[in-house]
Amino acid sequence: MKNISGKLKGDLKELKKLLPAEDILTFEFTSEKGLAFALVYADPITDKELLGEQVIEPLLNYEGKPAAAEVGKKLTSPELRTEKSFEKLSAEILAGNPVLLFEGADEAIIAGTKKVFTRAVAEPSTDVVVKGPREGFIEDVKINTSLVRRRFKTGELKMDMVEVGRRSKTVVAVCYLEGTSTKQVVEDVKKKLGEIDIDYIPDSSYLTHFLASRPYSLVKQVGTTEKPDIFCAKIAEGRVGLLVDGSPIALTVPYLLIEDFQSSEDYFVPAYRATFTRLLRLFALIVAIYLPAFYVAAQLFKLQLFPVKLLLTIAGSIRDIPFSPSLEMLLVLLVLEVLNEASIRMPKYVGMALSVVGALVLGETAVSAGFVSTPAIIIIAFSGIGLYAVPNLIEQTSVLRLVMLLVAGSVGTYGIVLVTAFVILYLVTTENFGAPLVAPFSPLNAHDLRDSLVKYNLGSLPTRPELLKSPNRRRLR
Amino acid sequence: MKLRKFLHTVPMKIYLILLAVVTFAFFSNDFGLVDIQKTAIILAAGIDKTEAGYSLTAQIAVPKGTDRTTGGTSSVEIEAEGQTVSDCISLIFSKTGWVPKLVFCDLIVLGEEAAKEDVVASLNYFLRNDYMPDSCLLAVCEGKAGELISSKSAIDDASSLAIEKLFSDAAVRSGKVVTNTLKDFAIDYYGVSKSSYLPFVRMTDQAGSQGGSSSGSSGGGSSGGSGGSESGGPSGGAGDSEKIYSAEETAIFKNGAMVGLLPREQTLAFSLLQGNMFTGTVNSEEGGKPVTLTVMKNEGSVSLKTDGAPRAELSLEVTVRLCCRGTTAAMQDISSDSVTPEIISNTADRLDGYIRDLWQTAKDCGCDIFKLGRMLYRSSLKEYARWKDNLLDATEADISAKVISMK
Amino acid sequence: MNKISARQIYLFLACVAPMGKLILLPAQLANFSKNDLLFPLLVHLILQAAAVFCVLLLSKKGETLYDLLVSAFGKIAAKILATVFALFLLFAALLPLLEQKLFVQNVFYDTLPSVVSFAPYFLFAAFVCAKPLAGFGRTWDILAPLAAVGLVGILALSAPNADYGALMPAGASGGAGFLKGAAAGFPWFYDAALLIPLLGHIDYKEGMAWKGALFYLLGGAFVLFFFATFYGIFQETAVNQLFAFSSTSKYYSGITMLGRIDYVFIYAIALVTAFYCALPVQGCVECALQAYGRKKYLPTILGVLLSALLFALSLLLDYKFADVLQAISGTVFWLFPAFCLAVPALLLLFLLKGGRRETA
Repeated sequence: MKNISGKLKGDLKELKKLLPAEDILTFEFTSEKGLAFALVYADPITDKELLGEQVIEPLLNYEGKPAAAEVGKKLTSPELRTEKSFEKLSAEILAGNPVLLFEGADEAIIAGTKKVFTRAVAEPSTDVVVKGPREGFIEDVKINTSLVRRRFKTGELKMDMVEVGRRSKTVVAVCYLEGTSTKQVVEDVKKKLGEIDIDYIPDSSYLTHFLASRPYSLVKQVGTTEKPDIFCAKIAEGRVGLLVDGSPIALTVPYLLIEDFQSSEDYFVPAYRATFTRLLRLFALIVAIYLPAFYVAAQLFKLQLFPVKLLLTIAGSIRDIPFSPSLEMLLVLLVLEVLNEASIRMPKYVGMALSVVGALVLGETAVSAGFVSTPAIIIIAFSGIGLYAVPNLIEQTSVLRLVMLLVAGSVGTYGIVLVTAFVILYLVTTENFGAPLVAPFSPLNAHDLRDSLVKYNLGSLPTRPELLKSPNRRRLR
Repeated sequence: MKLRKFLHTVPMKIYLILLAVVTFAFFSNDFGLVDIQKTAIILAAGIDKTEAGYSLTAQIAVPKGTDRTTGGTSSVEIEAEGQTVSDCISLIFSKTGWVPKLVFCDLIVLGEEAAKEDVVASLNYFLRNDYMPDSCLLAVCEGKAGELISSKSAIDDASSLAIEKLFSDAAVRSGKVVTNTLKDFAIDYYGVSKSSYLPFVRMTDQAGSQGGSSSGSSGGGSSGGSGGSESGGPSGGAGDSEKIYSAEETAIFKNGAMVGLLPREQTLAFSLLQGNMFTGTVNSEEGGKPVTLTVMKNEGSVSLKTDGAPRAELSLEVTVRLCCRGTTAAMQDISSDSVTPEIISNTADRLDGYIRDLWQTAKDCGCDIFKLGRMLYRSSLKEYARWKDNLLDATEADISAKVISMK
Repeated sequence: MNKISARQIYLFLACVAPMGKLILLPAQLANFSKNDLLFPLLVHLILQAAAVFCVLLLSKKGETLYDLLVSAFGKIAAKILATVFALFLLFAALLPLLEQKLFVQNVFYDTLPSVVSFAPYFLFAAFVCAKPLAGFGRTWDILAPLAAVGLVGILALSAPNADYGALMPAGASGGAGFLKGAAAGFPWFYDAALLIPLLGHIDYKEGMAWKGALFYLLGGAFVLFFFATFYGIFQETAVNQLFAFSSTSKYYSGITMLGRIDYVFIYAIALVTAFYCALPVQGCVECALQAYGRKKYLPTILGVLLSALLFALSLLLDYKFADVLQAISGTVFWLFPAFCLAVPALLLLFLLKGGRRETA
């Protein structure tokens, strides 16, 4: 690792060699006393106004020695560091922090005048609440950490910054409450982050792959949230959170499946209401996954699942449909998925047209043309809505629904039972960061059941979840 | 190292192969499955005895298509003759191309001739069939079952649905009908009493139905003699005219063969002894004028005592209120539900008579519809061994009917 | 995930184990013992509870079956005995699998499906074998409530239609009926043997042995109630009802209106029995692993091989179920008491003897 020599021309040449990009600029100036300075900065991400105000202007009449400590005292920037290594200096420049070199000094000064492009803190569209905080994380890790820090006015909150990505050098803030989170989990997280050897991390979702114990699994193994209040609540329970620069989605570990059945609002409404909505979410999800499959399996293999009058109604509806029940359902499901995908990505002004096309062409015309039957449309519509009762699991549940449908169409209701058995066995044997995925149901933990599908009043939850093994159990005194 | 690398990728390969197999199975859609479009949903079956063996008439539901403005259920009746019932079912398949499915068959009707032989010979197909619900209702009909099933109902789209209405819980609570299922009939048949009963269905033209359709073709005559006129002769196959059905009589069976018919009064008595009736009506008289009472509470029991010779105790206690008089009445009378002692006495006598007739019919036919044999078997194996061959003959009955007015 | 907790064992004994008795056994006992079917059942339950007591007491030492056998008989004999026990478990798996197959063909389909329709089960059985044994205990946490809801639901829908008087007079089938029923029932009672491969993985708690036996009897009480209900509903025709728990609830009056809502409970129990039937295969794999060493992919490979073997047998014996049933429950039924009752008792005896020597 090469260090700066104190010869300005030579040092500048060396830095330029490391950073040959055209947007890395150099600004050279001399103080009234003749000391030569050079500022090296990345043009697009450096706040030049701030640079002039806090670095250049104070140095124009500099009269002291050419030493970093002396020069630093003259600067008005609150964020100053010194560094000798060219490699580290170049990394700082690329991160948006200008480097000040001057003749005769064996260290350079790094000024924190990064230009921050951010959008305003706003309510995330994926997690809207009626009651409760509306703030959401944004893409800037600093603002995100400030949103967390604002909620914990304690020194116990640790935010360890880790860089991930050979080229992107993405900053990841590992947030936890010292004495509340288990040391083992914090160490494991840092270890896993340290082991990541990838050139670029565009989003926090990349990290989930490396943090999961079963990276290829269909099952989610890392918790995600866009809301600081949820993030902080999870940290307060003893989890470890990760804020990734460039991503509005924060990660939390250990993750339990039940987390996605809980909404932040559950904690701001009466316990009975929260319990009801959680059970409703579970019911909606089960129906959404199983209903299309059972409908198809019943038609193909087990008519008895329908009451006779309903059966005759269905038989009447599908009489002129040219497809088999399974193929019909698969087609309608695929159309729904296409509509769903298109409506998310489509420009808003086309959205209205899409609704008309979706509702009229598919809902009405397809039925009257005899392509699909009304019950199939009703079932898929209900299933489509039901899946969004638990939006954080949509990637997993939509695939599971498709698998169930395929199995139901080929093996029947027994296939559905067997896939369920597979899923149960798979889920119960999955654990990450020492926490079983389907806890507190398996392994059963009576204490943690109080905030699972059933939600007790806050007064009945004086301790943190047992499964997180927090060294500081009690939260309510 | 190579092996380890290969083994590491095995699960993914297995998943892909499985997915391919499932997808293939999904699209080929053929593991011998019979889907809804290839299925004949049999709602009811009628069985008749023929020279060749059996004739089975299946009522098959036909979906109405997407235009459901008319509502209801349409059906088609297919008849097939064969050596066995199973043979008939196979013939229906070959005639229609639809695979007959019996899972929704809620009614089996036996023709009168078929019922006179051991009916388990024709029913055993249904008992053996794992895909047939043995909870389906069983009945006997006047004449041919095929004609009954094929007839056009005046009250419902399908004859079977109209007949099933006769056997509803509400109908059973009226006391006018007793019902039985395939399972319970089989239990009775294979049980120690070897006796059972089935509702007996008669069919009449809608126009000719006025005035009732009761008959007393078997057993001891009724002692009450109220209501029912002697009508309702055979009416099957009477063209396309709309039919109505009644099941106020009960066929009784010994060793699987029909041995007698309980007229409506005895059916009522049987129903009352079983404690079935709630808010049903019984007829009585006061001063020679007809009155109708509503039964608000029905406690009936049959028990057996074996101190020496066996004695059956058939006791009935009903709580009634006045429902209707066959005469004009003052407002004060209408506003009162109480029953006069005379009516109570007449009603008790009448019910007592019905029960005596019922007992006598059972004895005459050798049919243990009260399951006395079963009672004896369950209470004492020794006594059962002693009396099992002549239990009904040896048993005397203590009959009591008590009527209480609702206050 | 290395240990199976006491709670998981109790849940297995009280909720999961009873589910294996609800398909063919009621009709089988009704065939031999008629209205006295509860007596042989009760005897089996008591004997199994005693065997469960022995096995759980053995688990106190924290050693696997193979370790126990080694300490009692030496390495070579232990290998042979562990293999024999593994083979017995494989044999014990056959009847439940064939029973499960018939059940699936009858209850999950309206018309007799192709033989292939049951084939996916063997994939599941192989998958079960590939999973860690102790982790499997966790499934009992999930399955136990399902089993309980399923059985209670079925009983709630069935009980009103049962004539419990049909169980009288007691003793009508005589001693011969009782003995025949008892002998024919043995192949369904191997729960204690299922626990033996778990030895060494059980997190023993004080009093676990008698609590386990009590929980087994508690589950057994529900089985007794179900059998009584079953006979009360079908009486003389009970022998014809081969798939007991799927047939008792269909007489519930609400079914006319709502359709077969009882299938919710039937499917819940079917899900539990799918796991239960795979347990002997998994036990067999575990015994083999204990005796011949554990390697990374060995459980999966063994699981796949054994499942393939059972699949082949199920195809081979597809139309010979009655013969298989007769052979297992009529001819070689004694294998079950030998391995499920005698083995735990003998192992305990050896352990006690060894213990005495140690203390001496």
